[in-house]
Amino acid sequence: MTATSSLAAPPSGPAVSRRRLLARRLPFDFAIVSVFNLAIALLLTYLVRVDSSFVENLVFSLCIGSLVWLIADGGRILLWGENSPPKLPFFVLLAVANSIGWYLGVGAATRLLGIPPGKFAITQVKSTSGFLIFFIVTCASITWFFWNRARLQQLMAEAATEKARAAAIAQQATQAQLQLLQAQIEPHMLFNTLATLQTLISIDAGRAQRMLEQLIHYLRATLSSSRAASTTLAQEFALMDAYLGLMSVRMGARLRYTLALPEELRALALPPMLLQPLVENAIRHGLEPHIDGGDIRVEARRDGAWLQLTVADTGLGLDPSGQAATAGGGVGLANVRERLQALYGGAARFSLSPNPAGGALARLDLPLSPPLAPPP
Amino acid sequence: MNRPAAPIRALIAEDEPVLGYALLQALQRLWPELAIGAVVENGVAAVREALAQRPDVLFLDIKMPGKTGLEAARELAEDWPDGTPFPLIVFVTAYDDYALQAFEQAAVDYVMKPVNDARLAQTVARLQARLAAHAARDGELERIVRQLSAILPAPAQQSPPPPRLTLIRAGVGNQIRLIPVAEVLYFEAADKYLNVVSTGGDVLIRTSLKELLPQLDPEQFWQIHRGTVVNLRFVQAAQRDEAGKLSLRLTGRSELLPVSRLFAHLFRQM
Repeated sequence: MTATSSLAAPPSGPAVSRRRLLARRLPFDFAIVSVFNLAIALLLTYLVRVDSSFVENLVFSLCIGSLVWLIADGGRILLWGENSPPKLPFFVLLAVANSIGWYLGVGAATRLLGIPPGKFAITQVKSTSGFLIFFIVTCASITWFFWNRARLQQLMAEAATEKARAAAIAQQATQAQLQLLQAQIEPHMLFNTLATLQTLISIDAGRAQRMLEQLIHYLRATLSSSRAASTTLAQEFALMDAYLGLMSVRMGARLRYTLALPEELRALALPPMLLQPLVENAIRHGLEPHIDGGDIRVEARRDGAWLQLTVADTGLGLDPSGQAATAGGGVGLANVRERLQALYGGAARFSLSPNPAGGALARLDLPLSPPLAPPP
Repeated sequence: MNRPAAPIRALIAEDEPVLGYALLQALQRLWPELAIGAVVENGVAAVREALAQRPDVLFLDIKMPGKTGLEAARELAEDWPDGTPFPLIVFVTAYDDYALQAFEQAAVDYVMKPVNDARLAQTVARLQARLAAHAARDGELERIVRQLSAILPAPAQQSPPPPRLTLIRAGVGNQIRLIPVAEVLYFEAADKYLNVVSTGGDVLIRTSLKELLPQLDPEQFWQIHRGTVVNLRFVQAAQRDEAGKLSLRLTGRSELLPVSRLFAHLFRQM
């Protein structure tokens, strides 16, 4: 028992905050209880028709009701704070509150009204047991009201917590997606590039310098672009130029690349991380594992109200069953599809098909109107 | 130090030209007597050239087009001719991967890219010591076979196993033939196809052995070669020829199925 009670009411900290809670709650609750007390006085006077006047009844009900409430609710907050109290101790508290409240309340009221002590209980009530039942029913109703209000507040607090949790989950999902994008900078890619750089520094410093610039450009854009809402086709193509430049130093004669961006499309806005995964996919799953390497061509075209982006490679191509292609490029491509859905609803199209020249052809069709700037 | 009289010969397999060049340069600096036969740029060429040149030391990049370094090592272990010492293999990688961690505990060496002279010097010293001790080299093939047998099944077990296959569906002309898996004698890889030999005849299916294997009951179907999976129900006997090569005889069949070194331990006497 000692252990439980010391657990229920730890020293200092919570006690102080409970006292503060009490100070904050009491005035408002007192007002509510007073309304109840007024109602009781009205009931006693006009419905139960006791012999005393309305003013007398009001004074009695105010004194008794306020004291019962003060002891019951004040005690509850001091003992259990915001938590719902354990049933049995709470009923004991109620019984104590009722008895003391009744005794002191009657005393206070008789003194205030100048009624001689002892006269009240016997003379003014026709049926003592009836009045006691009335008193108990009233107290029970008020308790029930406060109990329910506490439950309601608890439920509202729970709903708020639930809402915050849902928001946190959504936040985590976004975070995970971001990490996924960043994870596209594979350790293999990074370390192989660094190894190449290290070698180039001693044998061809000029080339090493250019390669380092491309690496910086690629890393900066890849690590930050997922946070920027929009980029331009010119920027995106410059990034792909840097990436393919890096890869061509590494793959040597095995990689040949072309970028085709018409002048009039350069300033067009484009969400980041749409073109890049397709190019990286073509390298990683098409050309890098292909013994003879091959060509990659990245092209932007305007086709009426559509912007068409294509990434064509002459690498390994798609698996006949289509399985290996999706298993290998699964994460990146699923990401592209999800982003298209989020940015354009059903208005954009993505396809991955065999390239007539061998290898694979990835194609994005994005609507030009409404303008490509994605919703925030 | 007693150096062997014949020059030590090496082969480098590295798909990135700059990195292959870097390794070549570093080795020439640290081990001038080493005769480097070639720098090849993919796994297929690595196996071909290694079998042709029979080098003493083989530097194998893990991630290469055609075949990975591990696949190349496995294929070499299966096809290496008897009587020639198996090369000492040094794996080269830019990034620590799971397969390498298995090797780390064993004696096979590996170096990380970018190759660092101090680290490579250690590797060179280790290789020289191993090459000088002829006895240690005799066991090289057995050792790598043991290691490869231990790590090779690992990748297939990473994803949850697909459901067991009970029927093989094979397109023959314009119809689909259904062959109960229990009636299959063996599967044999043939380029991009798989030859399914069953009691009812042979059919080709367009599935790789790698995809099929996890769908078969491992108690019933054993891989005996990189290109062969046999149904134990039909195995009559395992026999050795004069050269010591192990092969399986199947009930009701005339052909013998060769068992590679990597799987020979499955048919040892009780």
